[in-house]
Amino acid sequence: MKRILIVDDQPHVIRVLRLCLERDGYTVASASDGTEALSLIRAGAPDVLITDIQMAPMSGRELCQALHLEFPKREFLTLVMTSMTAREERDWVRQLPATEFVEKPLSPRALLERLARHFSTLSEESARG
Amino acid sequence: MAEQRLAGIDVGRYGRWLRRMGGGERHFAVVDAAGDTLWSDGDPGGFEQVCAALAACGFDWHCDGPGLQRRDVDDALTLLYHPIAGGPQRVLGWLAAVVERFEPQHAPIRIDELAEALEDVAAGIADQYRTGDELDVMAAELAARYEELHLVYGLDDELRRHGDTRNLFVSLLQTCADHMNADVAALVSADHEFRLSATNLSKPIHNLDLVLVEMRGDLFRFVSSAKQTIVLNDAKDPRRAYVFTDMPYKVMAYPILSGDAVIAMLVLLNHADKPDFSNSDRKLAEVLANQLSGLMRMYTMMTESARFNEQMAAALIEAVEAKDPYTRGHSERVHHLSMEIGRAMQLQDEDLDNLHWASLLHDVGKIGIPDAVLCKPGRLTPDEYTFIMVHPERSYEILRHIDRLRDAVPGARHHQEKWDGTGYPHGLKGNRIPLLARIIAVADTYDSITSSRAYRPGRSHEVALAEIDRVTGSQLDPTVVDVFKALCAAEPPWLAKFNVRRERQHA
Repeated sequence: MKRILIVDDQPHVIRVLRLCLERDGYTVASASDGTEALSLIRAGAPDVLITDIQMAPMSGRELCQALHLEFPKREFLTLVMTSMTAREERDWVRQLPATEFVEKPLSPRALLERLARHFSTLSEESARG
Repeated sequence: MAEQRLAGIDVGRYGRWLRRMGGGERHFAVVDAAGDTLWSDGDPGGFEQVCAALAACGFDWHCDGPGLQRRDVDDALTLLYHPIAGGPQRVLGWLAAVVERFEPQHAPIRIDELAEALEDVAAGIADQYRTGDELDVMAAELAARYEELHLVYGLDDELRRHGDTRNLFVSLLQTCADHMNADVAALVSADHEFRLSATNLSKPIHNLDLVLVEMRGDLFRFVSSAKQTIVLNDAKDPRRAYVFTDMPYKVMAYPILSGDAVIAMLVLLNHADKPDFSNSDRKLAEVLANQLSGLMRMYTMMTESARFNEQMAAALIEAVEAKDPYTRGHSERVHHLSMEIGRAMQLQDEDLDNLHWASLLHDVGKIGIPDAVLCKPGRLTPDEYTFIMVHPERSYEILRHIDRLRDAVPGARHHQEKWDGTGYPHGLKGNRIPLLARIIAVADTYDSITSSRAYRPGRSHEVALAEIDRVTGSQLDPTVVDVFKALCAAEPPWLAKFNVRRERQHA
């Protein structure tokens, strides 16, 4: 089962995403900020990391940068939730490898579709070797 | 699902509470609805042995009446258990205690206390389960709201970027098709005004255009008489008989109302192998349809007001040109040429709009010139010429009453100024003459030479260009003339359209 790690300081966001993802058969872990997420990832990498930006003490941006330093060869996809209005946030997201943004408010169906696409591309790639 | 949910609760914590309250019980345990042990204490495996012994005698965890249940295991032990209720008639699991066997007539006092403890703790677990259940319902509801918000923000973003153009409708449909993962999103109106669509095809649809045309008939009639959303998921849905039958898709059609009348519909189509349209799809389509309804009304009003403007302008021009049959079509031609030059000079949209009105209406002031002067064949006397010279200022006086034309009026007022400052009405020079006026001057000069007058027939294109060359720098702005000559070099379609005479070598 694919493991998804959600990082957000708002419990309702985690609750909603967890519900939608679990219904679709994913295993979900969650953290409320970057520090907690980092220690979970050190214990075992998820298949996809979904993170918010504004969190304390460690923000999503700091988390992404820390990941990039500590696990430069990480293979999991990182999705950063950016507000539709704060387009400038997308610039630093674009510069990180295997990191993409998804628009907040997050559409659960768009997210599920995005994940399905991601995993089917992965399995095609591994099938091709 | 229920068992899973109970497994999601930390039942061990409740078990340990019981243990701390309890006395000489052998075991406490939490069992799920299927009879599997979720948590137990006492010697390892002990409780499972008790369960196995009971199962061997056909025990199946059931209630005889409400409250605490008892069952003797053997000569030494008795099982006490209390249901954990997930709702009326619904048992999520059991809270169990294994105690030294006792006869019902001689139950020790502490058994009563134990019964109360089991009852309270079972209620606690059930409450937590229900709270979790309610939270899930709320989370699902919240997820639906996220979905709507996401769509609304997306639509809002499109609105901000496209403003009021017709493209807006297509890009809204595209947002909708992408967001709802629909093969086709279409907007079809009863009149022929709207038949727009956007696609996000999972598989090709070869005759999409035909499908859209057909929809305007049967499906639209169906939707507008029902005045509610029509969802056709099932291929065998009998209502399909009322609709274009050669449409093997899943269909959701939502009426767009203006007042009581259905003016259009929003249609989503999916290939048959896609999931059914759901209630949440329906709600989302509603959100979009409501936006579209407002936008369509706005669009219709804007189209009507734009048409009104054009017609008012045409009426004014008609009034001018009625005075002098030889100038018929002059305003329209100067307008056309000016716009060509303006576009070639890459003017901003706003400037082009001003150029549009200024060039169309530049000669409106001629209304004030006596017919005897305007239509006089042959040379004008100096007095008569003064009348002619007043006309741009007259144009200004007429047009200044229209707020909308405030920035266009200078273009009309100064179209007779000359580059060297010898023109009228104000004798402006060079770049002090408004750019729009300099553009109109070139177009006006060209058309005056090539069109017929009361006193002479129209001259050829080549003669006009030669004359323009001659007066460039004295009368006309060289930059604008360069642009105009570059346009002419490409043999533009208006040469034929306006029937401009050509010298023989070009004919």
